[in-house]
Amino acid sequence: MPSNSNSSPSSSSSDNDDRNPNSNPDPSPNPKPNVKPVSIDQSLDAIENQLASISMSSRSPTATVDDEEEVGEEEGQPVEQLKITNGSLSEEIGEEGVTDSIEDEHIASSSMAESSGVIKESPPFVWRNNLEAHEVERPLSPSSSGYAGEMGSTSGGDEIIDDDEDGNEIREVGNDGVLGSHEQRISGKRHRDEDDASVSWRKRKKHFFILSHSGKPIYSRYGDEHKLAGFSATLQAIISFVENGRDRVKLVRAGKHQVVFLVKGPIYLVCISCTEEPYESLRGQLELLYGQMILILTKSVNRCFEKNPKFDMTSLLGGTDAVFSSLIHSFSWNPATFLHAYSCLPLAYATRQAAGAILHDIAGSGILFALLMCKHKVISLVGAQKASLHPDDILLLSNFIMSSESFRTSESFSPICLPRFNPMAFLYAYVHYFDMDTYLVLLTTSSDAFYHLKDSRIRIESVLLKSNVLSEVQRSLVDGGMHIEDLPVDPISRAGTVSSHLGQPRAATDFPGRLGDAFVGIGGPAGLWHFIYRSISLDQYVSSEFSSPINSLKQQKRLYRAYQRLYASMHDGNGPHKTQFRRDENYVLLCWVTQDFELYAAFDPLADKALAIKVCNRVCQWVKDVENEIFLLGASPFSW
Amino acid sequence: MASRRRMLLKVIILGDSGVGKTSLMNQYVNRKFSNQYKATIGADFLTKEVQFEDRIFTLQIWDTAGQERFQSLGVAFYRGADCCVLVYDVNVTKSFDNLNNWREEFLIQASPADPENFPFVVLGNKIDVDGGNSRVVSDKKAKAWCSSKGNIPYFETSAKEGFNVEAAFQCIAKNALKHDSEEELYLPDTVDVVGGQQQRSTGCEC
Repeated sequence: MPSNSNSSPSSSSSDNDDRNPNSNPDPSPNPKPNVKPVSIDQSLDAIENQLASISMSSRSPTATVDDEEEVGEEEGQPVEQLKITNGSLSEEIGEEGVTDSIEDEHIASSSMAESSGVIKESPPFVWRNNLEAHEVERPLSPSSSGYAGEMGSTSGGDEIIDDDEDGNEIREVGNDGVLGSHEQRISGKRHRDEDDASVSWRKRKKHFFILSHSGKPIYSRYGDEHKLAGFSATLQAIISFVENGRDRVKLVRAGKHQVVFLVKGPIYLVCISCTEEPYESLRGQLELLYGQMILILTKSVNRCFEKNPKFDMTSLLGGTDAVFSSLIHSFSWNPATFLHAYSCLPLAYATRQAAGAILHDIAGSGILFALLMCKHKVISLVGAQKASLHPDDILLLSNFIMSSESFRTSESFSPICLPRFNPMAFLYAYVHYFDMDTYLVLLTTSSDAFYHLKDSRIRIESVLLKSNVLSEVQRSLVDGGMHIEDLPVDPISRAGTVSSHLGQPRAATDFPGRLGDAFVGIGGPAGLWHFIYRSISLDQYVSSEFSSPINSLKQQKRLYRAYQRLYASMHDGNGPHKTQFRRDENYVLLCWVTQDFELYAAFDPLADKALAIKVCNRVCQWVKDVENEIFLLGASPFSW
Repeated sequence: MASRRRMLLKVIILGDSGVGKTSLMNQYVNRKFSNQYKATIGADFLTKEVQFEDRIFTLQIWDTAGQERFQSLGVAFYRGADCCVLVYDVNVTKSFDNLNNWREEFLIQASPADPENFPFVVLGNKIDVDGGNSRVVSDKKAKAWCSSKGNIPYFETSAKEGFNVEAAFQCIAKNALKHDSEEELYLPDTVDVVGGQQQRSTGCEC
């Protein structure tokens, strides 16, 4: 049943660390944050040497970095081994270095075997999965089996919990990669009983507040706004005090905490976080939070404050806690929140075309935008005339719709504002769910268009049913998109043959037991674990499905944060930056930015640099080969 | 779900340093009193939930510092206040004389929509001191000033003994509420396509 999924045990358990203050005995003995992102565009060797030396002196940045992540997962890092590996690398990265080539599978797999032997202290559950994978698939290397023995003796009670969690997540995440069970955790505000005097409240890793310029609370992620009125007043006092000196406070660092301020006229937004996310990322999240508020109310609220500074906005936002909570949650799993790009549900070209055609058909008649979405992914979208839709608006709109229960139960007609389109005024959104995941949004400027839009929807629905779009959508949800294990060996020769398709080689995908299989294996070639490809001209991105060893939500979140940092460092305003290759104890991260695309890839920490570069080229080629299935082409919302 | 609308009222306490602003607030919120004087730095904030005529609302009490060096906190502090409480010490003439300045200052900084009718409440504190023998500002004098300023409600209090504090804050809440009744409909515009929406996002600015 739909409503029950909200309270599924797995979804709540995955949240444990966040909720339970005791589960996180803050990892104080962490000397100095962090392998600094250091510079980009340097010779890679220089970067690597730096990284190696930094990782010698400081242990495990990420153990403390990650929000809601438990501690003690990493008991010391394979620093020595890393160094050795680094020593043997000497390639230059750079655009000339990145050339197409045919992968040498032999080298790749042997390096993988080596790596699993060397990294003893990596997260136990991951490697255990990994081991099982080996056992099923291929003979174990001696070092790996030695590791297995060690594992058995070292895993303690806590780790067992991890394993449970992990097990649940594998099942849930399987279908949908990025999304998985994340989305199902949406609910109203949690921990409403807390206030700033509660120990648990103080231990939360990431707070978000919205308040008015008179210090009246509007929203708090945790705790009751009214009980937090004093705290809210304090925040206002700080902001105003600085403003009084004709200045602006942007960031305050206090120990492990960053306090980020964003002033939007009479609305103040504050994030207090000890997640060590970059300032730019946190600020971007506040911008989105503000955008979400504008989506619900428009910027006309400012007028209320002009007329009446004591205006209390909370009543206008009644019942929207879940919208903000789910947006804030998406800051830790949805790359769209920092990439400012949207993602499409992978579909056969013809299927997407069919959906696009019918949307296009009805879009003329007083409809400004028509979007067919599956969860947070776009199936197709169409804009009338010159109207354009910003990816952030898509994100905020889909978040609003998916987190408001009432849209699911009946067709709705609701005023909404697209902050990037026109922050001052409302549009009207007709929303209808075709099934649990798939919904149609028709945006119009006319407040009395409900019946017209209802008719349009009926037309669209019948076409979608006739052309099997809805069942294809469900199939895509099960199959997922790009699986790194499927990375073609030689994309060039392949491109010559019949056009490549996603999913096709994955014949096993149709029977229910296959999800287990999907997580067998050790990632893609050359230790490729995951990638995100963002097409700049399309404003879209595609993210590979998660697979081993990025199985658990915890792992995925850590990788997400790593990408987020990588993105921030590539867009730090000192650019343009073209490439970055980083190695730390968790990953090798490779970023490649061109005029056309940005590629973010994560590899095994011991991955060979030259091979990693080659694999990245293959990924880019692969994306090109299947672009008409993973992207919405020709109908770029900006080309109208 | 019953959406019981809760209200939040911002209450600002002003007055010379040492007249007992913090003590009054502490007595009211925590029912505690301390003879030790600790100067407030900048401002203190406390909240209290109050029931009034079967409505529950929250008082957000801004206890400001009386010292002049903190007066630069200015506009921001006063902005959006629902009620302003002026406190003086009945044993110190100067603190009473300054009420006028405090009131003026508040009206300038907060610039409320209707300054004539903005809800103030005046408290004459420390009536317990020396059994009332050291008192220098008479009840009559205070009331006269209050009525000259548009009938500001007046209370004589003792933060130490908790005398009249509850009643004073009840009145503060009541007055603040009275002025908060005008509720407008929230009606933003709708996008006008014919007029040509100029807003065009230019793709990604990253």
